[in-house]
Amino acid sequence: MKDQWTDRLSEYLDDELAAPERTTLEAHLASCDGCRTTLDELRRVVTNARALDDRPPTADLWPAVAARIGLASRARPVVRRFSFTVPQLAAASVVLALLSAGAAWLIVRRATISTPPVVISGPAPVLLNASAYPGDVRFDAQVADLERAVARGRGRLDTATVRVIERNLRIIDRAIRSAQSALAADPANSYLNLHLAQEMRRKLELLRQAATLAGARS
Amino acid sequence: MELTTPGVATLRRDPDQRALGDAETADAALAASGDGRAFERLYRAHVARVHSLVRRMIGPDHADDIAQDVFVRAWTKLATFRGEAAFGTWLHRLAVNVILARRTTLGTERGRYDDSADILDDVAGRPAAPELSMDFEEAIGQLPDGARRVFVLHDIEGYRHDEIADMLGIVPGTSKSQLHHARMALRRHLER
Repeated sequence: MKDQWTDRLSEYLDDELAAPERTTLEAHLASCDGCRTTLDELRRVVTNARALDDRPPTADLWPAVAARIGLASRARPVVRRFSFTVPQLAAASVVLALLSAGAAWLIVRRATISTPPVVISGPAPVLLNASAYPGDVRFDAQVADLERAVARGRGRLDTATVRVIERNLRIIDRAIRSAQSALAADPANSYLNLHLAQEMRRKLELLRQAATLAGARS
Repeated sequence: MELTTPGVATLRRDPDQRALGDAETADAALAASGDGRAFERLYRAHVARVHSLVRRMIGPDHADDIAQDVFVRAWTKLATFRGEAAFGTWLHRLAVNVILARRTTLGTERGRYDDSADILDDVAGRPAAPELSMDFEEAIGQLPDGARRVFVLHDIEGYRHDEIADMLGIVPGTSKSQLHHARMALRRHLER
């Protein structure tokens, strides 16, 4: 059954009728079974629509998307599963134990050799002794300069990028502090020296990228 | 769900979405700088919703192609995502634009924005038995293009009539009228 109000029922349902029309329609609904039934059905249609589940495509579209945006070559390599027999695993464990023992002996032996601090001048330090870092004037000056550049252009970066940069800087700073504390106990450890130099380089590189992104440096 | 406060950002939000929002914004920033894995995570999180939207708006035949187009376009437009809205909202709006741009090239126009109810009677007036067996999604797919798009955008995706009118190039009154016709036709496909 259809009357003059039937075509207004969706607007009523969506609360889009003006107050006088709404009042009149509600009065009509009180006396019209047909409109009440239709309104209830329309309400169920809306409920059904909002309860529909999203379904993924039957085939994975990612490989095609990745190919179209030039990421196909970076697709994850196929993981191969290897299996070993018990004798093979036992032999491998013996070899690993021997290698570990040899590496430990080499580190201890080198730590006992007195090595004067070596500072290599140039754009990036390669291997430095710990004593050079806590108050490394050149590194500190570079960091301060880059941090000022980033701060000047910070307004040009979106908040998400700033969050990512700050999170990565915190991670790098933690690594630098850890390496410095370890070096305080073992100043001649070449691995720790190299690790510290790498982390410091990484911090400078990240700050340079951030400054470039912010457009604050020429 | 609220009947009186539509809008895609509110209708589809669940309690976990806010927590995911920050991670997705960070992934979007990484993807914008060329991180393919971050973009793949975004793809995995949103492909079902995007594909479903395409399927409902255009039909199943071209859904895979157009869903791919959406993600390719998103990749090229990532720099324009400023994090002011949720990534999903931004992607969804972009998807709607891609779908609407493709609709004419696909030649799927069927009774475009016909205000008369006659064409809908075909959907509404089928014999009783097939109606009952027809899936609700399938019934949506049987609607004429104009009514179907308005119904999907309003009742499923939560856009307002003024937003739909802007997107489709119609007046809000036509959007309301199409929505009502679509709902009236779909009443017949409710489970008894």
